[in-house]
Amino acid sequence: MIRRQRGAGTALSRRRRRTMAAAVPLVGFVLLGLSAPWLMPYDPTANDLAATLQAPGGEHLLGTDQLGRDQLSRLLQAARISLTVTAAVLLLSITLGVVLGVTAGYVGRAFDRMLVGLVDIAMAAPALLVALAVIGVRGPGTENIVLALALTGWAPYARIARAQVRGARSGVHLDALRVLGAPRRRIVGRHLLPATIGPCLVYASTDLGVIVLAVASLSFLGLGVPPPDAEWGAMLVEARPFLDSAWWLAYPPGIAITAVVLAANLLGENLTTGDRARPSAFFVGRRVPRRRPKSAGASVNAPVPAGASVNAPVPAGPAADRAEPTKGSAVFEVQALNVSYGDQRVVADMSLRLAPGEILALVGESGSGKSSSALGPLGLLGPSARVSGSALLRTPAGALDLIGAPETALRQIYGREIGVVFQDSLAALNPLRTVGASLDQAIRLSGFATDRAAVRLRRASLLDAVGLPDAAPRYPHQLSGGIRQRVQLAIAVAGRPRLLIADEPTSALDVTVQADILDLLRRYRDQTGAAILLVTHDLAVVAEIADTVAVAYAGRIIEHGPAHRVLTRPDHPYTQGLLAAVPDLAVAPGTRFVTLPGAPGAGPDSVEGCPFGPRCHLVQPGCSAEVPELDPVGEAHRSRCVRHPSARVAVRPRPRGGARA
Amino acid sequence: MPASTTPGRAVGAPRTGATVAGFLLRRAAGLVMVLLALSVMTFALAQLAPGDPARAVAVDRIGDAATAEDIETVRAELGLDGPVAEQYLRFLGNALTGDLGESYRTGQPVTAELADRVPVTLWLAALGGGLGVALGLALGLASVRARGRFVRGMLRTVGLTASAVPPFWLGYLLVLYLALTLGLVPTGGMAGPGTWLLPTVVLALPVAGVLSRVVAVTVADALAAPHIQAAVARGASPRRILLREALPNAAGPVLTVAGFTVAGLLVGTVIVEQIFGWPGVGDYFAQAVAARDLPALQGGVAYFGFAIVAANAAADALHGLVDPRVRSVR
Repeated sequence: MIRRQRGAGTALSRRRRRTMAAAVPLVGFVLLGLSAPWLMPYDPTANDLAATLQAPGGEHLLGTDQLGRDQLSRLLQAARISLTVTAAVLLLSITLGVVLGVTAGYVGRAFDRMLVGLVDIAMAAPALLVALAVIGVRGPGTENIVLALALTGWAPYARIARAQVRGARSGVHLDALRVLGAPRRRIVGRHLLPATIGPCLVYASTDLGVIVLAVASLSFLGLGVPPPDAEWGAMLVEARPFLDSAWWLAYPPGIAITAVVLAANLLGENLTTGDRARPSAFFVGRRVPRRRPKSAGASVNAPVPAGASVNAPVPAGPAADRAEPTKGSAVFEVQALNVSYGDQRVVADMSLRLAPGEILALVGESGSGKSSSALGPLGLLGPSARVSGSALLRTPAGALDLIGAPETALRQIYGREIGVVFQDSLAALNPLRTVGASLDQAIRLSGFATDRAAVRLRRASLLDAVGLPDAAPRYPHQLSGGIRQRVQLAIAVAGRPRLLIADEPTSALDVTVQADILDLLRRYRDQTGAAILLVTHDLAVVAEIADTVAVAYAGRIIEHGPAHRVLTRPDHPYTQGLLAAVPDLAVAPGTRFVTLPGAPGAGPDSVEGCPFGPRCHLVQPGCSAEVPELDPVGEAHRSRCVRHPSARVAVRPRPRGGARA
Repeated sequence: MPASTTPGRAVGAPRTGATVAGFLLRRAAGLVMVLLALSVMTFALAQLAPGDPARAVAVDRIGDAATAEDIETVRAELGLDGPVAEQYLRFLGNALTGDLGESYRTGQPVTAELADRVPVTLWLAALGGGLGVALGLALGLASVRARGRFVRGMLRTVGLTASAVPPFWLGYLLVLYLALTLGLVPTGGMAGPGTWLLPTVVLALPVAGVLSRVVAVTVADALAAPHIQAAVARGASPRRILLREALPNAAGPVLTVAGFTVAGLLVGTVIVEQIFGWPGVGDYFAQAVAARDLPALQGGVAYFGFAIVAANAAADALHGLVDPRVRSVR
């Protein structure tokens, strides 16, 4: 936990540094503009016809223009004028916008609707064109520029202020004030107004660039700041005849405008979005080269940094943790799987195997690493997840280790040999496509059918199979959760995969719909002989459908065996606790629910020794020595607990690093 | 339509409210209101003018000797007599029949003058906008697909710089290097295809810059959606995911910004036509502003306003075509 926070801290400070770097030109602009009168070496409007068009250097650091005026002085004066006009526009816009926005947000009703309409119009209108129209009617001049730019400039501030006030209004905080008898004026002035100022100022820092550019553009068109005063846009116009003879006239004003506007844009993007690369499965396989461990004996293949491994319990070698040799060949075999985010492991040395036709339920509470174990081998966890170990998929064409396989090979497997059903059916379906279109795409991608007629046929049979013959023209948002989940199922099996991975497919559904989905899963298995890896937290689901159960706790499997055995004769105290916590309608009313004490384990490396130790009622001193082995406790039934009679209590000498909580 | 919570196998036909035609009809009705608002604003410009326009015109024609009667005659001629509401209705009626009055400066009908100039500006805007959208999309998608942080940062800087460089400065620099120094293209005017190059580029770059950032940010967001994960799990290729799964889902923000961008494009035409001496509406508008030529000014505002409304409506309609959720009745 601590390490993860530190990681987040450096990302934050990097972003803060970038934001501050972007603000430097803006601060420079403000400071130079303010101190221009004291910095200007010459009078910026004084002609010196004896020294026209002098190149930079000597007396005139940036040279002189066609009238012999000092360029540096003019540049500084222009900064001051630009700053003054911009500040005036901002002041007027913010005042007007905040007053209107707060009022609309507080009063609501017709006034609010009218303001929203006005804001929409003002924001769609280009500021410069409106300013031109106003100047065309009222004539040029500094005041008219300010008025004209504020005419559209207030709108975003009104929108921000209104949103802030409406947000505050919906909170209980204001109701409390009103009940306490605070007068309206006080509520608005002391509580609503101050809350809007911050966001408005943030927006202003980026708005500044727009205004500076608009003022320069107006001056360029000869409609802005009147001569002889200097303005960056006007200086560029004056420089035009000397473009190829006096380069020093054309660059400084242009660079000045660009710097201020660019800084404002950068600041705006950093403040609103930043340069984030959101985690997406899209980037996996292109960003992080996933390495396949050289040999199965390589004990530490998770990228645990050296500093962390001192404290972390020594991960058991995969050889010790390998799934028991069983008859027949597995269709999917995961060995020594490790998944970590940064230096935080979430799955440690997980091993699973699925025989054809087997339904394996991976059970555990939130954060137990069960979804990471199921989706990690497929590379679906996003670029920040690091996955190591091996995950063999056996097909008639041969065996492929999904971890470390090239992207193109994986694409051949996905949709054809492996189908995935996700938990959130609304999010997992593309909202812009009809059910039929999504299905067609899945069928084509799976290679099951390619020509139009065959695709149609397959689509119809899939929809029939999940009991939705008429769903093709519907969009996901028009369907209920249960129906969407059937659609997802139809998509996942479009290519008749031999392995179906279902990540909490029923957890958002009510019980009757849940039963329908489980029924469909079982039917698919019965008809095709596919193996199903079902991730769930619901023991009722396990009892209903699973052949085999693997119970995950803190990133490790702590009990594994045939469903009937694990559910009726659990060995591990955690499994026992889980089963005892299932509410039973048969008990007398008023009986307390049995709950597991303590909080869920954070990860495989957060506790020394047995991760369940801190919550276990059977805990004994030896439990914190090392992670227990997954020992056989019956036929095909294994459990990771030292208290079990058959467990070997072998305390090996281990390096002692710093103490861990 | 809220998702029904009862489990059911029967799934009916799509609701008619969500059809494309219905959606377009509803939007068209809203458009009429917006255009009316635009006409009010155009008309209101005249009311903003300081002093008495009738007197100004009369003095302009007759000289300082203009009597009160002369002024009233001019007032009636300009349609500035009677209550404001009546004046507005007259203005609207005239505008609908294509009469926006005569330019103070040239004495020619504004609509005729505009008609001469609109094709120039529309072509310029279409070419510049088209190039800008193409460049912006390419730059934005490249920045999404870029592997390293460095390349992404470079593309980001390029996009932001393109939107920050003032077009008039950019125009000068291009003229200086490409026209004056290298002699590749003419410095200005509107003759051969060579003269179109610089104006188009100057107009396109800011559009490309702004759009590339929007595309980069929104497509990156769209890629983080769970249905992308699902598409990966179905075996879709990266190109397919980017262009078919993520880009259409980013259409909302991108199209909204594209609508705004058209407004920027029109501002751009005013400046570009000034730099390169093109006889378009932008140039006409700038001249009208400088001369405080009210009817010409109103003509320009009407044209720009119409173009912006049309662009936003087109963006809106396009979004509705792409996204069924926008179409459904709220």
